[in-house]
Formats: sequence, structure tokens, C-alpha cells
Amino acid sequence: MRPVSTPTEVAEKPDGTAKESTGSSVAFTATLILLVGTALFGRRLFTGWFTAGGIRTWATMFVGVTIQAMPFLVLGVLLSAALTAFVPASFFAKALPRHPALAVPVASASGVVLPGCECASVPVSAALMSRGVTPAAAIAFLLSAPAINPVVLTSTAVAFPGKPQVVIARAVTSLAVSMVLGWLWLLTGKGGSWFKMPKNRHAHDAGKFDVFRSAMLHDFLHAGGFLVIGAAAAATLNVVVPRTWLDHVAGNLLLSVVILGLLAVLLAICSEADAFVAASLSQFSLTARLAFMVVGPIVDVKLIALQAGTFGPKFAVRFAPATFVVALTASLLVGWWLL
Amino acid sequence: MRRSVAALVIVFIGAAVMELATSGTYLRYVKPGMRWMLLAAGVVLIALAVTDVLVDGRKKPAQQEQPVAMPEDAWRDAPWPAGRRDEEIDHSAHADHGHGHHGLPRTAWLLLIPIFALLVIDPPALGADAAERQSPVSSKPANPKSNAWMADNSQGAPPVAVPVTDYAIWAVWQQDTMKGRRYQLTGFVTPAKNGVWYVTRIGITCCVADGTAYMVEARGQAAPPKNQWVTVTGLWAEPTKRPDGDVAALTVETLKPVAMPVNPYE
Repeated sequence: MRPVSTPTEVAEKPDGTAKESTGSSVAFTATLILLVGTALFGRRLFTGWFTAGGIRTWATMFVGVTIQAMPFLVLGVLLSAALTAFVPASFFAKALPRHPALAVPVASASGVVLPGCECASVPVSAALMSRGVTPAAAIAFLLSAPAINPVVLTSTAVAFPGKPQVVIARAVTSLAVSMVLGWLWLLTGKGGSWFKMPKNRHAHDAGKFDVFRSAMLHDFLHAGGFLVIGAAAAATLNVVVPRTWLDHVAGNLLLSVVILGLLAVLLAICSEADAFVAASLSQFSLTARLAFMVVGPIVDVKLIALQAGTFGPKFAVRFAPATFVVALTASLLVGWWLL
Repeated sequence: MRRSVAALVIVFIGAAVMELATSGTYLRYVKPGMRWMLLAAGVVLIALAVTDVLVDGRKKPAQQEQPVAMPEDAWRDAPWPAGRRDEEIDHSAHADHGHGHHGLPRTAWLLLIPIFALLVIDPPALGADAAERQSPVSSKPANPKSNAWMADNSQGAPPVAVPVTDYAIWAVWQQDTMKGRRYQLTGFVTPAKNGVWYVTRIGITCCVADGTAYMVEARGQAAPPKNQWVTVTGLWAEPTKRPDGDVAALTVETLKPVAMPVNPYE
């Protein structure tokens, strides 16, 4: 795809509207021909190319993760565009305590209201930041929303029947992790030079609907591209990492917590389903499975790609390990206390 | 990415998602419950792209090319100026990064990869290849599903159709209720070493990424071709002991090749 389009984009400079629209229509026509051509002849042209079982399994996983995340991504960009276009910045100033350290727990708790999995929360928290919400609070929201919303807690209760303490432990741990990281953000210099602040996308001359449309278009294309990277990574790891290696580590508590945490990062299962997967990992202790459910919604390969895209790669390489370590520590503590 | 091209890509994604949902192909990748969410997402995407083209078509070209101050892309991560939280910061200084000249991210081209994967590879439902990567051992159920109704069936009765995902667990962990009865299972063939083969079904809770293989060792019949869907009937058999656990088994009496069910997962 890139070889077809990039030359046309690079070749012409924005120095004339006539040339612009010609270049634009060339790129458009080329893309259209390519897409329709693939739709009509793709399978015939490439018969015999992708027949290896591993490749087909990979493709199924890759398309599966993408398709699964797509409705949630659309919901997320719809909400974030609506926040950008229709909610005045003054609303958040009034709704959240002025002091950032106090805004963090409020933002964590308000994660309850966003029913969706983690793909939706990245664009929404970026929109919150661009609307003047302090990044610490937006980060707390980013981490708590996919883990403590009613859909996720209900599915956890269904996956662990007769064990309400698992649901409570999950909610408590996820809330604690999101608050700790929000405060950690405030303590460690608020991002310094490595955090890319999502910009305010209010064009001052544009109407609200235009802002909504542009924001949604942009966010979808942007996050969608990174979702594809994340889905490819998750599919690769799913195919490459044999699940049988899990059975050898189940006995050791500390090791099993780390391993299930890593598994959650690698598998990138959406937060509404991870409880069922956790329930099926029955050779592990409840604490290790709690770690799996706490890590999954806040750090996984798909999320790291999305966050790198939204907040910058330099942010992602610091944020993901920090989140991982805090999540494992909190899971161990809460597991020891409640489970 | 140019705005018109972006709209085209989004229309294709929306159309692909809706095609999957309406044709039933989506069942290869996600749960049946996702259908309405996929349709809604497809409608929203197509509506977004169509309004964008319609509204922009009416505007003057000069206005059309004006980026509406978008956040920069990640590929070029220039350090931010000191007052970066100031909303009035000059957008133009950074607006170009990774966006070509038109304010839309280049990463959007990546969205074409899943479309090509769908159109060219046509990824099949998970089958024997995925199952071979997992262990056939039946893991202890966290919340055992009752099969008390089994007691109503006398031991000589005709075979009871049960899901492979249930049989694989019951046959190992609820042996007492299973012994001496006949069952009917439908799944695909996963061959293993030494002529052993399994009737297999993949269980998914959300999408194929969490797909778990449930495998029942079929005894007494030669293995049909890999990935062939079969319906087998037979008697409960003593589970196979392995160092890492027990594998459910069935002594096969009849074997019939069948077509893949509409929903390949359980």
C-alpha cells in the first residue's frame, strides 16, 4: 500500500490548489483501484500464497482482535469527539477538584461510567486532556475505566461464581493502581519532555459539528492504525508462545504472578473477556489470576501501541513498565489481604 | 493521508465490518453477541465518511485543505516547547509531523492490512493448527457445570449429544456421572503422534485471541483427515494419563463426516 501512495504524497508540495486536487485525485483513484482490485481478484491472484497453517491461524487471530476491538474503538472515538466538540472545557474545571492530587481519585472513581474495553478509554482520556483536565487525572481515568466498569465487573462475577471476593479484589486493586499511577505522575515531574500532550482540536472558526466530524475522523484513523499494530503483535505472540509453558510455573506464587502478568500483556484479551480466561487458568492461585485481570486492561501490546500513538512512544516506554510493576505489586498485596 | 482517501478507506472498513456481520462470517472471529455492535460500528463509520465527503465537497478547495489543528503523529516525536499546556500554542509548528500536508495521520494506511487480510487470505475459523499449539489436557474447572440431568438417562439409552467443551471436562472431572453412557460429539479432527487423534472444539469467550481448545481423544477408529469436521458417537472411556494431567477420551462406535457448523466455536 505505502509504495503506491507515498510517492504521490511526497512528490507534490502544497503550492497550488490545482496541483493539490490533481494529486489528491491520483491518490484517491490509485487507492480505489487497489481496493476494488483486491476485492475482486485478491483471492485468485494469491492462491497458494498463504496456505501454511501457521500463517492462516495468525491471520485469523489478527483479524479477530481487530474486529473485536473495532466497535469499542468506534465508541471511544465517538465519545472523545463528542467531549471535544460539545462539552465546554469549563465543565471539567467545575466537575473535578482543582488540586491535581485530589482530582486523581475522583477521576479514578468516574471510570465506572465508561462501559467498554480498553480500546475506548485511550481516545477518551486523550480528549479529556485536550479539554484541560490535568493529565494525572486523565491517566487515572485511562487506567480505571476499562477495569472497573459494570460490564467488566459483571463478567468477572459470572466467571467466578460464588467468589464475590474476586470481584471486590479486582475493583479495589484496579482503583488503587490507577490512583497510584496518577499520583506517581505528579511526583515524577508530570511527564517532563517525554510526554506528548494531546492537543486541543478546537479550531476557533469551525462549527461544533465540523469539530466533531474532524476529531472523530482523525482519532479513528490514528487509533485505528495503532490498533492494527497491536493486533498484529498480539496475534504473533498468540501463535508463537505455546500455552503449555504455563503449566511449569504455576506452583511458585511470585513467579506465577509475574508470568500471568506477562501473559496478560502478550495476549491482549479485551477486559470484558479476560475474567473468563483467568477462570480457566485454574492451575494458578487466585492471586496470580487477579494479577492477570489487573494487568490486562491497563498494559497489553495492543494498548502500548495505542498509547504510543496517542501520547508518544517515549511516554509508552516509561508508562507501560511502571504500570506493570505497580499492578503486580498491588495484586500481590490485595491478593494476600482479600483472597 | 488525504481526506478523500481517508474517507475511502473508512468506507471500506465500514463495509467490511458490515459484510462480516450480515454474512455470518463474523462468527469465525468473535462471539455471536457481537453482531449488532459490528453493524452499528459499520453504520457509524460509513456515515462518518459519507458526511465528510458531502460536507467538504461543498466547501471551497482552499478551506478544504486547511487542517483543523490535529495532534501530531507519533512517528516524529519532537520535544514540546516549554509552555506546552497552553491551548493557544501555535499549531502550525507541529501540525505537519507525520501527517503529510493534510492533517490526517499516515498510520491510517495500516488500516488497509486487515482489509487485505480479509480479502486475500480469507482467514478461516481456528482449526487443528491452533489446537495443536495447545495442550489436550483437561484443566480442572473453576466453577463446575452440573451434569446432574445425565442421571435421567439410563445407561443403555441412545447417545446424548453434548458439547465437546463440556465432555472434555466432565469425562475427566465428573467421571461418576459419565461412566457407561453413550455420547455424541461434533468437532474437527486434530491429529497427534502415533495415530492418536482428537475430536476438537475451540471455546471462545470474546474473540479468537482467547480461543481455548477442548480435545477428546477418539479411540477405536483411524484418524480422518486433519481439520475434517465429524460427528462421532461412542462410549465414555477411561481418560489418558499424562505427566501434565488427564485427557478426556471416547471409544468411537460411529463416525460421520459433517459440514462445519454455522458457529464453529462453543
